[in-house]
Amino acid sequence: MLEAYLPILVFLGVGFVLATVLLVLGLLLGPNRSYPEKDSPFECGFAAFEDSRIKFDVRYYLVAILFIIFDLEIAFLFPWAIVLDKIGVFGLVSMGIFLGILILGFIYEWKKGALEWE
Amino acid sequence: MIESLISFWASLPIALTTVIVILLKIVAIILPLILAVAYTTYAERKVIGYMQIRMGPNRVGPKGWLQPIADVVKLMFKEVIIPEKSSRFVFLFAPIMVLAPALVAWSVIPFADGMVLADVNAGLLFVLAITSLDVFGVILAGWASNSKYAMLSAMRVGAQVVSYEIAMGFALVGVLMASNSLNLSDIVNAQAGGIDNWFIWPLFGLFLVYFISGVAETNRAPFDVAEGESEIVAGFHVEYAGMAFALFFLAEYASMILISALTSLMFLGGWLSPFEGTFLVNIPAIGALFDSGIHWFLIKIMIFLFFYLWFRATFPRYRYDQIMRLGWKILIPVTIVWLFGEMVAIGLGWTPWA
Amino acid sequence: MTFEQIIFYFFSTILISGALGVVLVRNPVYAALFLILSFFTSSAIWLMLEAEFLGITLVLVYVGAVMVLFLFVIMMLDINMDPLREGFVKMMPLAALVAIIIAAEIVLVMASPSFNFDQSVVHAADYSNTKAIGNILYTEYVYPFEIAAVILVVAIIAAIALTLRRRKGVKHQNPSKQIRTKRNDRVRLVKMPSSSTQNRAGE
Repeated sequence: MLEAYLPILVFLGVGFVLATVLLVLGLLLGPNRSYPEKDSPFECGFAAFEDSRIKFDVRYYLVAILFIIFDLEIAFLFPWAIVLDKIGVFGLVSMGIFLGILILGFIYEWKKGALEWE
Repeated sequence: MIESLISFWASLPIALTTVIVILLKIVAIILPLILAVAYTTYAERKVIGYMQIRMGPNRVGPKGWLQPIADVVKLMFKEVIIPEKSSRFVFLFAPIMVLAPALVAWSVIPFADGMVLADVNAGLLFVLAITSLDVFGVILAGWASNSKYAMLSAMRVGAQVVSYEIAMGFALVGVLMASNSLNLSDIVNAQAGGIDNWFIWPLFGLFLVYFISGVAETNRAPFDVAEGESEIVAGFHVEYAGMAFALFFLAEYASMILISALTSLMFLGGWLSPFEGTFLVNIPAIGALFDSGIHWFLIKIMIFLFFYLWFRATFPRYRYDQIMRLGWKILIPVTIVWLFGEMVAIGLGWTPWA
Repeated sequence: MTFEQIIFYFFSTILISGALGVVLVRNPVYAALFLILSFFTSSAIWLMLEAEFLGITLVLVYVGAVMVLFLFVIMMLDINMDPLREGFVKMMPLAALVAIIIAAEIVLVMASPSFNFDQSVVHAADYSNTKAIGNILYTEYVYPFEIAAVILVVAIIAAIALTLRRRKGVKHQNPSKQIRTKRNDRVRLVKMPSSSTQNRAGE
């Protein structure tokens, strides 16, 4: 099994090296003539009034949290889906209950308006 | 000459030769991929041009065929601007973090029967995990730029990509239930035996969900609020120039091709021919063209890439709340219902794909 | 040393330095990046133990999902870390105590006879860790499995209760209503004879 992962490891190395080399090439080949106006953050012609690292709506975090939960659910579904022929109806029913409980959570989410984007 | 080469090869330690062979295979994947990316950009400009009744690029080389090469050379010699307020290291690291996963995901894609770099058991899981890394680079880029537009875009991308990843994951589970394997070659082989065995027929809803999520995942039109130029200029890469920008570009198109490849592997039988098992395969000389092989895989990838371009020319951009609604309130319920339908079908022993 | 051992030590070195980086660097974003690196390398080590499913799921769930949330929180809340570091010396004894307890627990578990190290299992070439998990998780361990579902639902409810705020006075559109409108609700076509045809009719 491990031999199968060796090419991935090598590919990972090649991928990062290639990306770095391309970037360094760009840094070396391109000119480097900087002045304050060029190096300031883009603001449609104005000087920036404030720092751009501002606080964001909590809704984004809620989406991220809900995503973690659903991602875990998917992680539970993966091994189940490939052994369906072995675990039979019992396995189907146990996953049916699992999904059923989570669908209740999903309905709660929906009714509470957590999926609404204001 | 050749004999001495062979004997030299044999004298090398086995570990070294293995790595050299792997490296050669990787080059054989990456080079055509980068070429494909270059010509996808050309195709995009041409196709959208013709759809809008104009010519598209036609100056560099015959009919503009050398346009992508000119673009690469231009980007190469442009200045990489590093804004003074940015976090330098993260700013330069972000494009690398975007491109590397987009390339590595190709290591488990089977191009034809047995033609795969890493034939791992959990191939599909690996692809899902590695493509979920792309969003980091974008968030890091948005944060490191220290620009409002980049920041807004990073938040948008983050929330959008994770929302569509759920629908995508559920759609994948539907495919797994039919194929009983996580290995991409096995998934294709489970669809062997003619066009009517392809998963697109019993899993049509999941196919639609998967491709739509794929388009959203790669931030392409009509889901390209990340770089909605009328709202936030260019989004997360507004501060990037030259080669640093080119890496984002390369990664975006590599992911587009990857999504097209995955869709054809999982729903359209990958390298399998639609004429499999018909009399056409037995025609002498040209029969091989009708038989399964890598050319069918490439044709299917091109079809989906064309859809990408077609969408961009056709659909107006979604509003952000509409995107979130489509992901959470339509695609996810559709996939869940479809999965339950599939479960009932399997429970009753009615499995059209088997 | 075999090739496998070299790779193992390679990864463990990265893992330990990454973990040290998480606690030692000052900038929280760099700490998060080090944490990603640590997750990545521990996933590689799990893969070397042939725990294929767990290894890749670690990347999928922790790197792909949890770290996105972490980065959201760190970057967008823009926490100033310096005041948080002030109590470092005061908290030191408590932190050391917790560390010692955790270390002792790990040692106790590893030393127990049921955690037999020498028992190296050789799997067949077509062994699939994912299938092995699937075979028992949904049948033998069905209760813990369903409890996991309940825990996830509790997490959904808790997350919503903690973060969902409805701001007053926000004007928003309802996309479902918008797309359900028919052409006739918005446009009324009125048939009017144009002036030119009228003129022509009069001639």
